[in-house]
Amino acid sequence: MEQPILLFGWFRWDILVEYKDLFWQGAWMTLRMTVVCVLLGSSWGLCLALARLAQPRHAPWTWVARFFLRWPATVYVSFFRGTPLFVQILLIHFAVMPVFIHPSSGLLISGDLARELKQEHGALISGVVALTLNSAAYISEVFRAGIQSISRGQFDAGRSIGFTPAQVMRYVVLPQAFRRMLPPLGNNAIALLKDTSLVSAIGLAELAYAARTVAGAYARYWEPYLAISVVYWVMTLVLTTMLRRLEHRLARSDRG
Amino acid sequence: MNSIRRALALGLAAATLAFGAQAQNRELTVASSATYAPFAFENKDKQIVGFDIDIINAIAKQQGLKIKVVNTPFTGIFGALNNGDVDLVISGVTINEKRKQSYDFTPPYFAARQLIALPKSSTVASLKDLAGKKIAVVSASTADDIASREFGKTSPNIRRFESTPLIISELAGGGVDAAMGDNGVIAYRVAQNPELKTIDDKSFPEEGFGIVVKKGDKALLDKLTAGLDAVRADGSYAAIYKKWFNKDPNAR
Repeated sequence: MEQPILLFGWFRWDILVEYKDLFWQGAWMTLRMTVVCVLLGSSWGLCLALARLAQPRHAPWTWVARFFLRWPATVYVSFFRGTPLFVQILLIHFAVMPVFIHPSSGLLISGDLARELKQEHGALISGVVALTLNSAAYISEVFRAGIQSISRGQFDAGRSIGFTPAQVMRYVVLPQAFRRMLPPLGNNAIALLKDTSLVSAIGLAELAYAARTVAGAYARYWEPYLAISVVYWVMTLVLTTMLRRLEHRLARSDRG
Repeated sequence: MNSIRRALALGLAAATLAFGAQAQNRELTVASSATYAPFAFENKDKQIVGFDIDIINAIAKQQGLKIKVVNTPFTGIFGALNNGDVDLVISGVTINEKRKQSYDFTPPYFAARQLIALPKSSTVASLKDLAGKKIAVVSASTADDIASREFGKTSPNIRRFESTPLIISELAGGGVDAAMGDNGVIAYRVAQNPELKTIDDKSFPEEGFGIVVKKGDKALLDKLTAGLDAVRADGSYAAIYKKWFNKDPNAR
């Protein structure tokens, strides 16, 4: 600590170089997890949003929708938004997963397949499940708000030209709503990218895990954490740029 | 406005005086990672208790030191010492050459070895047999060092966690083939879990846990060492050992 703070003399590149495999693997893992969770989370989030918006006009469907779609979806969203993601990750990995996938007593998968799955991909599966379930809760609210922002007249117009409610949703409402939902969806994707760092707690070798390992081995914090900060930042910049392009393209098609 | 400024200045002066007086015998901050039963863990009253805590308290009492124990995650414990957030560390820290280059240690206060925990059905008999298998270790622990040296620092077969309970849970959940850690804690946890067993690889060197201070903090190191000798001599060490491990310190 007596050494002067000169970035290139004092900054220990050698320990980053020594662990570079861990950093590359970590960055790749973070990237893959983000992409998979954004896709799964958006799909599941759309289902949740549609469940929350379900309002059939005729009995008994009004009751079915209320008890089997709207209420469960509302409770789900409230639970996953109302508890910390970190807690959800630990709960899913150490409590929920062993019940379903366990070499000796898995309800869903057991025996050698369970052993193989848990050992090769256990933390990844738990991490993806937790992040997907969590982000879907947030994304469903984005979808819900987006869909509700499209005026009722659009829906009626679609129905009047002979579309079924599903077709109205698919061809009239969602395409318009999507453009409004793009910025908040982008926000969610960026949040998700950063939230992957929490999965290091269950031993998944992503970026934060690499930094923690190096920090633990050398009791040095500048190098590993600055390095992964830069990587996360670059990743979010790329994501932001892609989203901006998409927004521009959608705006152009609107004008033309 | 003026009176506020005067009050502030007075307060500042008083604080400076108090701090200066305190520097004579100020409270020492002790870091310990309280997920390390039976060495250090939190009881239901949120007090940190355990073998390490009793030892450091006995030493402090003997030497007339005022101490305060703070729960610090093991991964960040050396960082906390480096930063000056804490004055000393007692947290089942194994004395080794690498650490001795950066920190000063008291003589060992506990004889430690590594122990491998496995499912009952496992056929693994030694560290070498773990090649190609998944091993859970606590980040930055001695087990992490050994596994990193044996199987490569960046090996995907090494799974690092924050604490010993997590590596045992991961093993019990079938996520890894083995967990490795210090004998005291691993034996304690495995005894609670009938599906697990331990193996004692004779190639692991005998190691000791030491109390850690900043490099060059000779005054404190001498006090701790003298205190440790004294509590060994007056029998309180043996009593604490018996309390936590239910056997005599010299029994193997």
